Amino acid sequence: MKITTDTDGCVASGQCVLLAPGTFDQDEDTGTVVLLSEEPAAGEEEAVRQSELTCPAAAIRLSGA
Amino acid sequence: MTTTEETPRLPFARANALAIAPDYEALRRQAPISRVLTPAGDPAWLVTSYEEAKEIFRDKRFGRSHPAPEQASRISGAAIQDGPSGDFETEEAEHKRMRRMLAPAFSAPRMRALGDRIAELTDRCLDDLQAAHDAHPGEPVDLTDFLAFPLPVLVICELLGVPYADREKFRGLSERIAMMNGGEDAQAAMTEFKAYMTKLADEKRADPQEDVISDMVAVQADDPTFTDDDLARMGAGLLFAGHETTSTRIAMGTLFLLGDTSRRDRFAADPEGEVNQTVEEILRLTATSGTGLLRYAHEDVEVAGTRILRGDAVLISSDAANRDATVFTDPDEFDPARTPNVHLAFGTGAHVCIGANLARTELRTVFPKLFGRFPGLRLTTGIDEIPVRVNRVAGGVDAVPVTW
Repeated sequence: MKITTDTDGCVASGQCVLLAPGTFDQDEDTGTVVLLSEEPAAGEEEAVRQSELTCPAAAIRLSGA
Repeated sequence: MTTTEETPRLPFARANALAIAPDYEALRRQAPISRVLTPAGDPAWLVTSYEEAKEIFRDKRFGRSHPAPEQASRISGAAIQDGPSGDFETEEAEHKRMRRMLAPAFSAPRMRALGDRIAELTDRCLDDLQAAHDAHPGEPVDLTDFLAFPLPVLVICELLGVPYADREKFRGLSERIAMMNGGEDAQAAMTEFKAYMTKLADEKRADPQEDVISDMVAVQADDPTFTDDDLARMGAGLLFAGHETTSTRIAMGTLFLLGDTSRRDRFAADPEGEVNQTVEEILRLTATSGTGLLRYAHEDVEVAGTRILRGDAVLISSDAANRDATVFTDPDEFDPARTPNVHLAFGTGAHVCIGANLARTELRTVFPKLFGRFPGLRLTTGIDEIPVRVNRVAGGVDAVPVTW
């Protein structure tokens, strides 16, 4: 599974970071998404799928299996 | 206005605190978006279906300002969510500035760091609940007085830098600004609330602290377009939204878990394992009994075959959308195993609740602690006897009488 994020579209809700803190972080100044790795961190596959579904800005895209 | 007599008028009556009005479902069966009258008696569109709610939340052609505010539909006699807010020309830029200013303070890492402090404050509230119970053995204790109200207030006070000692003052003001039939009194309360925040901002200007009001004052110093009135209104809004909404979810979550003993026992048997999904289900089902979230169309827009004209008021009912059977199987059932549970309790899109991470952190702390300490907690009255606040913007209940 490969993750891409749209920082321009991100509304800095941080919901992905609460769900998958090993995969996503927030920029300290702007609050927008920082992708820590292009693959989900260990054990966070389901949480990353949830993040894509719940992102308020639809700024997270998943590709591949 | 040809069909006024047949047009349903908000707010709709509900059977009890855990239910929503059947009118929403009846309207959704006819169309995803319906013509209604607001509590103030003006025309508006009510969105009851999930897909259209999500679409409008995310559509930038809908905003909180109005192209001709004096002609806008009024929603109620409260002083919040009552009509247009902000300037039509500058709304988007001002909203971006506000989000940029506040997002770091409410970020997930900051909220995680706050977790231990929230746990400590929760323990203190539960000590008080225990003490109240011990002082009058055999008598019910009101969970709202000892937990649902004080905990979110303690937390938001620390975050914003508001003295906890002032809680009765802003509790009273919060109640008055949110009364849907408040009228002049709601407006007077808002004036007083803003004066309170202005005074607090002056104190932070003289002696800045590590808190959100101090951050706002610092941003204001570099931005002449950010007025004292903007700051006061925003501060009052954060203080109001930061406690009313979470208080209601703590009270309602307790009611959901106590409404059925097997539900309570299942949760109490494995609170840490159950809590995240239980909290999402509480968020999905908690209905405010208000009007839904307000938008005005900034241009003519067609949604699901309905033509919404520039300036029309649109009320998005998350309460109704969260019980849309096309998205949620058996939508009225409390089912923490539901997955995915992509509810709209915080809205979505650019205006999504900025306090969502704070609310989740508080709720995920409070329920395991409450049921870990009092696994035999029970209501002392039937759910139908719990009075619902029908005239308040944030809804909720007046009391949650419990014992153990």
